[in-house]
Amino acid sequence: MAQAESALSPTRSRTRHEAGFFAKYWMAYLLVLPAIIVRFAYTIIPLFRTLWLSLTNMSITNPGEFVGLRNYAMLFQDELFINSLGWTFVYTVSATLIETALGLAFAVLLNQKLRGQSTAIFIVMLPWVIAPMLASNVWKLLLYDSTGIFNQTLTMVGLDRIPWLSDPFWARVSVTLVSVWKNVAWVSLIFLAGLRSLPKEVLEAAEVDGAGPFTRFFRVSLPLLQSTTLLILLLRGMGEIQTFEQIYGLTMGGPGTSTRTLALLAYERFFTEFRYGYGSAVNMWLFLFAALVGFYYSWKLYQAAR
Amino acid sequence: MRKRNHRSPITSVILYSLLALTLVFVFFPLFWMLVTSLKTPIEANELPPTLIPRTPTLDAFKFLLERWHYPEVLLNTFVIATFSALGATILSGMAAYGINRLQFPGRSAFYGFMVATLALPGMVTIGPIFMTYKDIGLLDTRLGLTLVFLSGGLPLAMLVVFSALNSIPRDIDDAAAIDGCSWFDTLFRVMLPIAMPSFVVSFLLLFIHAWNEFLFAYILSVTPEKRVLTVRLFEMPNRGDVYLPQYDLIAAGGVLVLLPIIPILILGQKRLVEGILAGATQGT
Repeated sequence: MAQAESALSPTRSRTRHEAGFFAKYWMAYLLVLPAIIVRFAYTIIPLFRTLWLSLTNMSITNPGEFVGLRNYAMLFQDELFINSLGWTFVYTVSATLIETALGLAFAVLLNQKLRGQSTAIFIVMLPWVIAPMLASNVWKLLLYDSTGIFNQTLTMVGLDRIPWLSDPFWARVSVTLVSVWKNVAWVSLIFLAGLRSLPKEVLEAAEVDGAGPFTRFFRVSLPLLQSTTLLILLLRGMGEIQTFEQIYGLTMGGPGTSTRTLALLAYERFFTEFRYGYGSAVNMWLFLFAALVGFYYSWKLYQAAR
Repeated sequence: MRKRNHRSPITSVILYSLLALTLVFVFFPLFWMLVTSLKTPIEANELPPTLIPRTPTLDAFKFLLERWHYPEVLLNTFVIATFSALGATILSGMAAYGINRLQFPGRSAFYGFMVATLALPGMVTIGPIFMTYKDIGLLDTRLGLTLVFLSGGLPLAMLVVFSALNSIPRDIDDAAAIDGCSWFDTLFRVMLPIAMPSFVVSFLLLFIHAWNEFLFAYILSVTPEKRVLTVRLFEMPNRGDVYLPQYDLIAAGGVLVLLPIIPILILGQKRLVEGILAGATQGT
């Protein structure tokens, strides 16, 4: 019992000498290891297998042999990969920035003392519980070129139709729009909580000093929300960089290859062309970019937990 | 209250208009889905579109209930979401307790590992998981999908439970120990009841995530009876006899996927917001 007790209260003096490693820590490892082992089996092992595959030329017709970095070299001559890389970057940055800005605006609005506030928060939350695949279907109904309601409305007020899903540029706009619609809910909720936890005295002091609502927002609230904003940008960036489902549901990467993100390209190479080696090389790039954002974020969490 | 009094009428009008605009942007697509799902195939294609169905019908729903293997697919989705969320919550709860309350070598590394793997895109791991599943016979099984979602839910569940445990003062452990509680009693009589709400939050969040996931469900199931709802949504059946875009079916399919989730949102709105915040703001 003595060991368990000392393990339960880490602050108390440790009695290291009396028990072996196993006797002392078995309880802790019994609690922690099941989760770690499952997570390890489904992340680290497949990740290393993807790394290995990316160094082979394995495909459905070829059992595969080691080819070194040839897949990676091929990638940089593959125009589709370069385009996809560029679009992933543009999409990630623009979706993240628009979501964050719009989410902040929604949060400020929902934080005003307006009637029907809680109903409004409930409605704004709805897209968050919606499956990405469902979000793309919902928007398809609005965006269809011939009979979608957006184009119908445009025709009715005498404007030209917009080829929402059949023109490369507009398809990119549509894809971004759907992501913003889906994810702005989450951003708003985080910002709303941030706004509500701002120190009231500071805001009141600014008001007493004669600062108007805009000065108060830009000079007081916004600087205080800095860490919240960074967190949102990181988490959303991490989410957007690996977007697959919404885009696959809405355009399947088209028209042509215009909305094909890295995740979609990897999917096509791996699961429709069955080029396991080449697809895995695309995946390693996807991993690298997601990891750059993600490890910075988890490093902050890790430091906070120490 | 004070604020409402010294807001000028013009400001009020502007604020309420902005709120209305926001709600239309968020809600109209969903409203349109509901409306379209109740139309006949012909009315769904009519120009100009009608805002209220002229002859409301449930035909689209009937068609999908038959063609989707809906009872099986609904049961699959429900079983997979429930057991993966439950399993991940229990395993993460254990791990969160160990990391938060016990001292052992590798403690912070384990925590860091769990959080860091959040950044790993599903696309990077799904290829090898598919290959392994094919080899060991887990492909096209509920168990296979449950395990994938369980693993996927672990980091978020751990953050949620960890933040709840973190807010329980360590004095409580000590007080229980002084009163003669064994660690076992402390865990089950003291800690677990206090941390229970965070388990509920974690379960709800993970249930919704599993319900909504598409990529893994699509790749790791093959036969129609083993599919889940989001995958059925993607594979819209064709209504051979009517040569028109099947807007009513797409809309009705959406309603069928969304409807079972709505009670969770209505009953658990406050808890879900807590969960979202705990998952996101652990580090700040």
